[in-house]
Amino acid sequence: MNLSMMENNIPGYFGRLLDVNLTTGEIRKTQLSKEILKDFAGGRGLGMKLLFDRLSRPGISAFSPENVLLFMPGPFSGLPLPSSSRTCVVTKSPRTSPLKSDFPDASTVSYSNIGGFFGPELRFAGYDGLAITGKSEKPVYLYIKDDQVEIRDASAYWGMGTDELETRLIKDLGSDRFRSCYIGPAAEKLVPLASVLNTAARAAGRGGTGAVMGSKLLKAVCVSGSGIPNVADPVRFHELLEKARQSFSEDTPSRKWWREGGTTNALEESSQGGTMAVKNYSEGTFNEVQKIGTGASRKEIWKRDFACYCCYLACKKSGMAKGAYGGLVHDGPEYETGSMLGSNLLISDLAGLSKCIGVADNLGLDIISAGNIIGFLMEAYDKRLINKAFLDDIDLTWGNVDATIALLTKMGANEGIGKKANLGVKKLAEIIGQGSEAFAIHVKGHELAGWNVHKAVDWFGISYTTANRGACHMNGGGPSPQNQSALRDSLGICNFVDEWYINDISFANIMSAITGIEWTNESLEKVGERIYNLEKMFNYREGFRREDDRLPERFYTDAYAGGPAAGIRVDRQHFTQLIESYYDLRGWDKLTSRPTSAKLNELGLAYLDTEYR
Amino acid sequence: MEEIIEKQSRRDFLRKLSLGAGSLLIAGSFGFSWMIDPVTGKVKAIVIDFSKCTGCRTCETVCAAHHHQIETGGSVIPGISNPYQANIRVHHFNPDVDVPLVCSRCEDAPCIDACPVDPDPETGRKALYHHPVTGVPANDTERCIGCRMCARACESMRTGTIRPNPGSHMPEGICDQCGGDPQCVKYCPFNAISFIEVAHDREFAGLSPEAIGQLLIKKFYS
Repeated sequence: MNLSMMENNIPGYFGRLLDVNLTTGEIRKTQLSKEILKDFAGGRGLGMKLLFDRLSRPGISAFSPENVLLFMPGPFSGLPLPSSSRTCVVTKSPRTSPLKSDFPDASTVSYSNIGGFFGPELRFAGYDGLAITGKSEKPVYLYIKDDQVEIRDASAYWGMGTDELETRLIKDLGSDRFRSCYIGPAAEKLVPLASVLNTAARAAGRGGTGAVMGSKLLKAVCVSGSGIPNVADPVRFHELLEKARQSFSEDTPSRKWWREGGTTNALEESSQGGTMAVKNYSEGTFNEVQKIGTGASRKEIWKRDFACYCCYLACKKSGMAKGAYGGLVHDGPEYETGSMLGSNLLISDLAGLSKCIGVADNLGLDIISAGNIIGFLMEAYDKRLINKAFLDDIDLTWGNVDATIALLTKMGANEGIGKKANLGVKKLAEIIGQGSEAFAIHVKGHELAGWNVHKAVDWFGISYTTANRGACHMNGGGPSPQNQSALRDSLGICNFVDEWYINDISFANIMSAITGIEWTNESLEKVGERIYNLEKMFNYREGFRREDDRLPERFYTDAYAGGPAAGIRVDRQHFTQLIESYYDLRGWDKLTSRPTSAKLNELGLAYLDTEYR
Repeated sequence: MEEIIEKQSRRDFLRKLSLGAGSLLIAGSFGFSWMIDPVTGKVKAIVIDFSKCTGCRTCETVCAAHHHQIETGGSVIPGISNPYQANIRVHHFNPDVDVPLVCSRCEDAPCIDACPVDPDPETGRKALYHHPVTGVPANDTERCIGCRMCARACESMRTGTIRPNPGSHMPEGICDQCGGDPQCVKYCPFNAISFIEVAHDREFAGLSPEAIGQLLIKKFYS
């Protein structure tokens, strides 16, 4: 099979989108035009373009059958380039909301990135992406083996946790060559902060992508492919591939950092620097961080290092925890899971923390939002704004592992306090009132991640407030890093490998070898900028405005009490200036937040200028 | 075929390994494939250290590329092939265990036993036979009838690395050790694969990936 030899195609692409409608059962292979592949690259960008065009009007509910759920690898995916493993899940968010809008179901775009092996396999099967629309009447999973695509009954898997499901799918499909993305029980119950997972621990965690999958009664997508994308210039591609492999093989401190601890190393570093989410973001340094750091995990838990497809870094760690909270540990704690369910809740019992992570992954919850929400409730309980009855009798004190597990379990079941918690901190603060909104740590309804803002407002303040999916720590602290990030998410390459893909082995040179189109760093960044602005226009269409790009009050009012950065807080005027200069750099209107006509024209998005004033 | 296999105990082998590399090899974490070194006349094997493998599948991609080279602009370069076309295959299990396997070069070769093609009167070879230099099973495509018996024997009794070609049904997936310069060894980012002299009596030899996976799960996660 060599579908990419199909005419009318840019090399490196199949030019095909697998289009599945779960209401009608219709399965189509839709041709993707050269123009949109060139303009939006793939992954997050191509997904965004398809989402924007298909959701032809604002205010469609994220859980409506009309919403589109897109699994988008990029043009790097499936080629043996180091760390070319990523898939972007793109949809309309069930998590976000504007301050005000004409539309009751207004929300932002959502995109969430997942590693592992799924994206490459989807490309082996001959697709540049998978789009799911409609809603099934009963639980189903999607079976994809090259051209053979079937919607199959998933009632046997409904209700199953992600760990058991991973094992069962490999067994039932009769081959570990099938790579699967799936949801846990939380998503089935439409928990808005539900994630999409593969290999039982790797998650497209953010932005409620799993909840949208659950709303379609789609339990899993299982794919196996026998093909491979072609490239325009095999000699040049091979030279670049060899250089990339050599570069990744060098024994640098950076590679060592990733291999030994991965983002877990950042737990101690961030705590020392005062940039960690501690005690619901009231502090930036965690006195007990060593107990959950790399050294402790290596000693007490980790047995194995795992890599995504063709990755030289292997930052995923797994092993066994011992003691009362003992058991299998699929992953980490890494930085986000370790900070959000660890330092943010003052949990330093490593086995207990690992147990919390395992419970959340098995239920299929976004651990970042879950940890943020639990931290908020712990603070509200500590301040006696809520009582134990509000919490269904859970004694939700700081550092309490059992209470955290109990609450996570209720969240997964979407019951009682769990159901309330699942509304997110923005709505919880409305329910609890009493000034609690000041410590509800979200932007546009999406909870912040494990990086605190007080001391790092120039980067993370901008990253969180201006991100198109609501608070996002991976977004970048200015226009250029944000465009780069959007680009990476669109190529299918990992966010952590920029430093290896430089000089000769730039993304631009690799894209040129793959596609036969001569790309430069500048022309590729322009693709990132186009994507970012299209997302912005999507949000603008829904009713998001400049005032939605706001920081939680806590960062202005509550200075750190302890740690090396004690006394620090964000200066309101400084941040206002910062975000206004950001808007200037972006070419966006500071009053409305809308990209200016000049900017839209420059990016080839002029058609949006006339349509959405 | 002549037997030129140098017998070594596993302890000798492990000692050599640890002296040679100063590595952190865990006893019993190895899988093997054999070859007779044309220079030294000794038996060399592709050895996989399951404790180091991260499941990245770089080995599959370089193997598939090496065995599906392309000619372009007058030069021959590695192809770009689906990793499933490799002769090494990384089996994956939950909880996370990855089991890269190549042909075990079983001493008794049930695949060759199963071949129903009458031996050639001159060479004594069936369609599937021991390669005189490498010792790995080789297939005579002129005489192979594509009956899939070798793949079935390998699947039911050993590693299951032999798989029939989807069209011709002739056996594929048998490691040829890249003529003495195995690409998987060269490119493994985690130094989990080596090409060294070893003996036949080793743990995991000829076991199915499932059996190895279960043993490793017990080892790593209990």
